Amino acid sequence: MHWWKSRREQLEDEIQTHVDFEIQENIDAGMSPKEARHAAMQKFGNVLLAKERAREIWGWVWLERLLQDVRYAFRGLRNAPGYAVTVVLTLALGLGSVTAMLAIVDSVLLRPVALPHPEQLVMLSGKAQQDGRTYALSYPKIDALRHDTRSFTAVSGYNTMVKPVGTSDGTRMAVLTEVTPQFFKMLDVRAKLGRVLGDADEKTPVVMVSALFWKDWMHGDPKVIGSTVKISGQLRTVIGVLPEGIHFPLGTEAPVVYMPIATGEVGMFSGDAATVMARMKPGVSPQQAFADASSVFAHSGTGGTQDRDTLEMHSYKDYLTGDMQRPLLALLGGVAILLLISCANAANLQIARATGRMPEMNVRSALGASFGRLLQQVATESAVLSLVGAALGGALAYALIRTVKAGYGSKFARFDELTIHPGVFGVSVALALLAGVLASLAPALSIRRHTDVGLMTKRATQRSRLPGLLVALQIALTCVLLVTSGLFVRTLRALQDVKLGFDPRGVTTMVLMPEDQHIAPEIARQTVARLLERFAALPGIESATMQSSLPFSNFNVSLNGKTDVNGRVFHEGDTAFYSLVSANFVRASGIDLLRGRGFMPQDDSSGAAVVLINQAFVNKFLAGRDPLGTSITMHRDPGDKDSDIPFTSAMTVVGVVENDLQGGDLGAPFEPMVYMDYMQLPISSGFTSLFSMVSQFAVRSTLPQAAVDKELREAIKQVAPNMAELGLQPMDDAISGSLQQRRLALRMVTGFGGVALILSAIGIYGVLAYSVSLRRREIGVRMALGSSRAGVVRIVFQQAGKMVLLGLVPGAAAAWAAGHGLKSFLFGVKALDLSTLGTVAAVLLLVCAMAAAIPALRAAEVDPMEALRAE
Amino acid sequence: MARMSTREEHEQLELLQGTLDLLILQTLAFGHAHGHAIAKSIERRSEEVLQVGHGSLYPAIQRLLKLGLIVAEDGLSENNRKARFYRLTAKGRKRLYTETSKWERFSEAMGRILAPMAEENE
Repeated sequence: MHWWKSRREQLEDEIQTHVDFEIQENIDAGMSPKEARHAAMQKFGNVLLAKERAREIWGWVWLERLLQDVRYAFRGLRNAPGYAVTVVLTLALGLGSVTAMLAIVDSVLLRPVALPHPEQLVMLSGKAQQDGRTYALSYPKIDALRHDTRSFTAVSGYNTMVKPVGTSDGTRMAVLTEVTPQFFKMLDVRAKLGRVLGDADEKTPVVMVSALFWKDWMHGDPKVIGSTVKISGQLRTVIGVLPEGIHFPLGTEAPVVYMPIATGEVGMFSGDAATVMARMKPGVSPQQAFADASSVFAHSGTGGTQDRDTLEMHSYKDYLTGDMQRPLLALLGGVAILLLISCANAANLQIARATGRMPEMNVRSALGASFGRLLQQVATESAVLSLVGAALGGALAYALIRTVKAGYGSKFARFDELTIHPGVFGVSVALALLAGVLASLAPALSIRRHTDVGLMTKRATQRSRLPGLLVALQIALTCVLLVTSGLFVRTLRALQDVKLGFDPRGVTTMVLMPEDQHIAPEIARQTVARLLERFAALPGIESATMQSSLPFSNFNVSLNGKTDVNGRVFHEGDTAFYSLVSANFVRASGIDLLRGRGFMPQDDSSGAAVVLINQAFVNKFLAGRDPLGTSITMHRDPGDKDSDIPFTSAMTVVGVVENDLQGGDLGAPFEPMVYMDYMQLPISSGFTSLFSMVSQFAVRSTLPQAAVDKELREAIKQVAPNMAELGLQPMDDAISGSLQQRRLALRMVTGFGGVALILSAIGIYGVLAYSVSLRRREIGVRMALGSSRAGVVRIVFQQAGKMVLLGLVPGAAAAWAAGHGLKSFLFGVKALDLSTLGTVAAVLLLVCAMAAAIPALRAAEVDPMEALRAE
Repeated sequence: MARMSTREEHEQLELLQGTLDLLILQTLAFGHAHGHAIAKSIERRSEEVLQVGHGSLYPAIQRLLKLGLIVAEDGLSENNRKARFYRLTAKGRKRLYTETSKWERFSEAMGRILAPMAEENE
């Protein structure tokens, strides 16, 4: 910048010389030195303006001005620290939460699909015409799709399960994914070590492993290719390691082993169907691909009941993030509201400041500053504030992400990978600048209006309505956030109060899995029986049961079967869930027995199948009848053979139990259930295969948890050393765990609501304080004319009340609409909840009254004499 | 211009930007000069009607420098003070010629249009 400076000095010298010449000339013409200087200056005109215009010709002047403006902005802000700190904090809060939320959305919704051209990847499944359920496609269907479609470069299938895998370190549970040989070529993924699976691997005992499996279980050994792992008793050679960042199939980093399956034959673990993923050819639209695949699907029928089913297609991204998409987008909406509030607040503060600076602006305008130049200066000040706010907001977002990660990283899919990506931060900085420019727009326009009018003083009579409207907007938005968090609080409370239907206290749940999954079901069933016997004999254990579906478990297996109820005509959709339990089910699970009796030991040997049903079953099939003694059978469609029916003999209902939670969601509706003693299931039934997959137990005890855990683990080691433990936890933990997601959402929304409330209070305080400072004279005159101090306070409170009411009415309407939009997240509370609304209104009024109190008291302290003297 | 000045004797005309540029070039056609001298020369030659706000001279000079129509050099003034002198370049001389003929045509046209009105007003 040296040449720039010397050029400036040269210009200054030149102008000085010019003026000197003129002075000399004037003196020569007979003027006094003083007159001469005066006349010369007059002739030259505005020196600063001339210099500035001259420099403008050189270009670069914008940079100079920018630096000048930034310096000026900092100087100005140092003189108004309260204002600067408030604006910066306001923006930091708004931008910080937006950045954090954007980072979460980015990490959870956008990043997981880190595969080449993810938009071409789709998931295909069948949709049953009968009950609308989706299912994995059979191998013949997959082969048909692979050979006969034209829209896809590849069609592949995979199955995912959790299985024990043995390495040199011992045997542990790992995610095992069976894939068709072309799978990784379709994903377009290359191996980090070794190679990916290919067609030649179809029937060979090879595996690939994920980067995490390689790192954690194989010590990151670079010479791992060619070594073996043991899966279900079979040694398999490792041929490749996937690179980091490929998180298939869970979308989150996990130890995964991939092994090839052939679609021609039954897989090693899974039956004869697979989840199907396909890559569309470049340029093919999803609609074309879907039409193509649907037509192949429809023409590849086998004459069975599935021929009338249809094909479903989803993008891979939606498939992966589906369950998180809506809650996260809703939270993003909440954050957007917060950002709006903070922008409104910042704008309001800036309007107040700009109006306070009107005299200064007028003077500068009179001295030759152009409107554009003033505008630029105001915008620079805003931008400086916004950027400082963005920097602080970035730090805040970083802290927030760290907290969320520490608290929830292990609890939600992909939350362990949360990071603020540079792109996300860039977006937030852009938002900060935009917010700054928008916020500066309002005051800048008010400057223009005022300069045009030529206003030279702060006039109390000419108040803008904009600040009041902005405060009303803030109140309305705050109302929405507070009402929403109120609804969430009530939802959580309602869920905690849900009648569980069983007594969870003292219940410990356990999930076990045979290491060798090819164990004969019957042998596995005997192991379960021996375990139950042993558990029941342990000191301090009251009772134990097996349950093929446990509340909150991820390993539930139940049969959804068409059901004939004696004395009732069968309709399509008459289905119930069949679940296996053991004789002690009612006692050990603590389920409420409503009518009849539980299982008895002699039921096992009596031969006649007896079952328990739940209340939902009674409501659906036996309304108004005495359920006890009713006979039910599995429905037989025309053409069905005995082998198509899981259970052929009739079952007699001996008891009715309370509705029991089946899934992991406390808010889910209850399904009709039939509980059957596991020992009564004939060996011939296909349903027995579940014993070789997984066994679940519930054990009731009054001992301390640690003692129970120890006893159970020792018993398993002795009785069933070849069973691996998948889970062991108190039922109470499972219940609170199931509320995690809602609790997180509640914390976030409540946090937003709290921040919004603080911002609104600041907004009200700012507008009133400023308005009181403008009206000092008016207030003084009023007091001199006899108004009491209480009267003055009332005026201020009236102004506050007007703003609050103006915001509350649309706010309540918007809150109702928001509640309606969030309906699917609510439970036990309506979208329009008057008591929540009332509470929120009361809280808002109270906080606003507190915010208004300080300016009101200040107004009351105005000295009428001072005001009159100023007039 | 002379005609216009007759209407209100004391009115001092503000200069259009392009006009000032032309006047500076014209002044420098007689030889090199420093800023003050240029201002004085323009005032003198227009019989004090064209009042150059001396300040506005400098942006114009910078513009002409940038266009390469004039160049600057340091020198000594008549009273032996250091000053910056300006001189026409070949390009500047050419521009002066074209601009002058353009102006002549323009003022002639303006004169023809305004003449009847001026007479009516008299």
